[in-house]
Amino acid sequence: MGEAVIAVEGVTKRFAGHTAVRDLTLSVPKGGIFGLLGPNGAGKSTTIRMIMNIIMPDEGRVSLFGTTAGGRALSERIGFLPEERGLYKKMKVLDQLIFFAETKGLRRGEGRAKALHWLSRLDLGDWTNHKVEDLSKGMQQKVQFIGTLLHDPELVILDEPFSGLDPVNSQVMRDVVVEVARGGRTVLFSTHIMEHAEQMCDRIAIIAHGAKVVDGALADIKREFGGRHVAITFSRNSDAARPVFEDASLVKGVNDRGATAEVELTAGASPEALLRALVGCDVGLSRFEVAEASLQSIFIAKVGVDGARPAAITDGN
Amino acid sequence: MLRKTVAVIRREFVERVRTKAFIIGTVLGPIFFGAMAIVPGLLLSRGSAGQRVVIVDGTAEAFGGRIETVLAAARTGDGPNGKPVYASVRVAAVGRVQDVVDSLVLKTGLSKKNAGNLDGLLIVDEGSVTTGKLRYYGKNVGSMEDMRQLRSSLTPLMISERLRSVGVDPAVAMRAAAPIDLDTRKVAEGKLTAESGASTFLLAYAMGIILYMALVLYGTQVMTSVIEEKSNRIVEVLVSSLTPFQMMLGKVVGVGMVSLLQLGIWAGAFLLLQQNQAKILGIFGVASAGSGIASILPTMDPWLVVVFLGFFVLGFLFYSSVYAAIGSMCNTVQEAQQLQTPVMVMTIAGWFSAFALLRDPTSSFAKAASLIPPLAPFVVPVRYSIARIPLPELLLYVATMIVGLLMIVWVTARVYRVGILMYGKRASFKDIFRWVRAT
Repeated sequence: MGEAVIAVEGVTKRFAGHTAVRDLTLSVPKGGIFGLLGPNGAGKSTTIRMIMNIIMPDEGRVSLFGTTAGGRALSERIGFLPEERGLYKKMKVLDQLIFFAETKGLRRGEGRAKALHWLSRLDLGDWTNHKVEDLSKGMQQKVQFIGTLLHDPELVILDEPFSGLDPVNSQVMRDVVVEVARGGRTVLFSTHIMEHAEQMCDRIAIIAHGAKVVDGALADIKREFGGRHVAITFSRNSDAARPVFEDASLVKGVNDRGATAEVELTAGASPEALLRALVGCDVGLSRFEVAEASLQSIFIAKVGVDGARPAAITDGN
Repeated sequence: MLRKTVAVIRREFVERVRTKAFIIGTVLGPIFFGAMAIVPGLLLSRGSAGQRVVIVDGTAEAFGGRIETVLAAARTGDGPNGKPVYASVRVAAVGRVQDVVDSLVLKTGLSKKNAGNLDGLLIVDEGSVTTGKLRYYGKNVGSMEDMRQLRSSLTPLMISERLRSVGVDPAVAMRAAAPIDLDTRKVAEGKLTAESGASTFLLAYAMGIILYMALVLYGTQVMTSVIEEKSNRIVEVLVSSLTPFQMMLGKVVGVGMVSLLQLGIWAGAFLLLQQNQAKILGIFGVASAGSGIASILPTMDPWLVVVFLGFFVLGFLFYSSVYAAIGSMCNTVQEAQQLQTPVMVMTIAGWFSAFALLRDPTSSFAKAASLIPPLAPFVVPVRYSIARIPLPELLLYVATMIVGLLMIVWVTARVYRVGILMYGKRASFKDIFRWVRAT
């Protein structure tokens, strides 16, 4: 597991009327991708802001790289993409990135070289001298992303990095994140899109209502969650499968998404029996896969429908 | 750490100097100064020349003739190359004044193309000398300058006419009544300066205006730029690598340097104008020598420039940190309007106290106002321009200003630190008090 790059110990943060984060303890080891998952309003951004020392916890403490000096003092080693993106709209793309590099302690020349490298890599080479306001939203997000990675940080913290991106750009960014992590650096990102986390993360933590529900290595969490699961994709007539799902001798639980479904088998039931039953109902199948539980199912099982509701003002003390 | 602050200053400075608003403002400034120098000169010297005036003479005496002579002698400006003001004709109309007037009115105030078009009628009646009543019917009666010119041409004639009628030699009387020429020159530190009283006042006035405008305009720029960073949500990016104090300092100093650059360009243009004033006025056909226009652009002594700039910088830092804090408390410029009011009151108080002390720059009021940090940036330079302040006293004012500045920066930096990350509702004064006390 190695030394913890981020250690959050018993952190609580209250805002007027509600508790955003409650007694949260997290440990992010060096290297790899750590996913901070949770429904909207779970306290992900608040946690990240406390890690970045933008807001102070009411209780508990946060240490980065083994010190409590705070994210700002260590900003040369950290790249941070806040949830609320911000760029100077009237500034030219390259000038903007050079400025970001300078705020991270790079010299101008160095910042310029790195900015140009990243811009051409993310297909923004033709836009270096355009004002930010002339760029599309997706392009602006790429610029912001470059600003985060420009100074080659050891630790990259991304708050909802892929939200609002089209599939192509989203994929480009995910590839970059994976590559960054491969270089021995640590990436922490928050998301509420389970598929992204499932594809990318080595370790995750799920929080709901400001409290940790589960954390650890993704493989361990899946193993612990246990059960035998079958992932099904229908090609036609998916409604006919519903009676089968209600058969308690075969199916313990189901996450029915219409065209796809994830079924947890009852102890003692075999996948073959389920397959036979489905074929008997004249259901068209394009996939029938015995698998571990998906992160989505784990998330819903752990957080529950209730946990997915944003924390209300009345919540907490 | 310093390098990061320099980066913020540079960004603020470069981005601002590149804007159209800056370029336009910088160019318009000298044009404005130039206009200030030239327009009064033009107004003073230029009544319209060649006015076509008919003197309708209803007197049997030679009075009408003398009016004609006087009008023919009137010249625009004081110089030797002035043009005749009037192209006048006298029409003898004893006993039929009204008929002549009626017929001539028809020809008055027509467009220039009409032949025989008149600008006005000067009507002299039988009793004009004794009553002092003359009538002028014309299209240009709304022109103060034309009417002043007419009146001043005729007044001496009227006086001498009356003196003659009681048997006094007009020439003797006019000599006796010649006005005294009081030449005022300011003495500073035992040295006679080239400044006249009027130009000292003008200089103080101009400095007051420039200080007020610059502090308010650039201070507001700091404020709106803080609000902009907040509404762009760029603060979160910045605050992860910069301390709020670096951000605030960088912004204030960056905008301050822009303001100094602009003021510097203006000052340079001002000096150029001053040195080439005669030439420039010449281009506009105004003779400056001896006309009193020279004093419109006063000379500035170097120490005054130092005091002015010094207090401008201190005042700018003072007010713009307040503006920065106000900006940090608000989400929109509209919200900021209300919070700005106390600052406006302070600047206006500074401006008024500067003018209140023009009459007596060494009064105890003036001395007290110089010790109050929000007022001192206005009061001290204006005072200094009227009467030199002894060095120990000046240093005291600088010291209190710096102490006040440090205090206000301490408070505003604390407000700023919390304010920039607050979204949603505008902070109340209670909140702000809490932010300041928080460690």
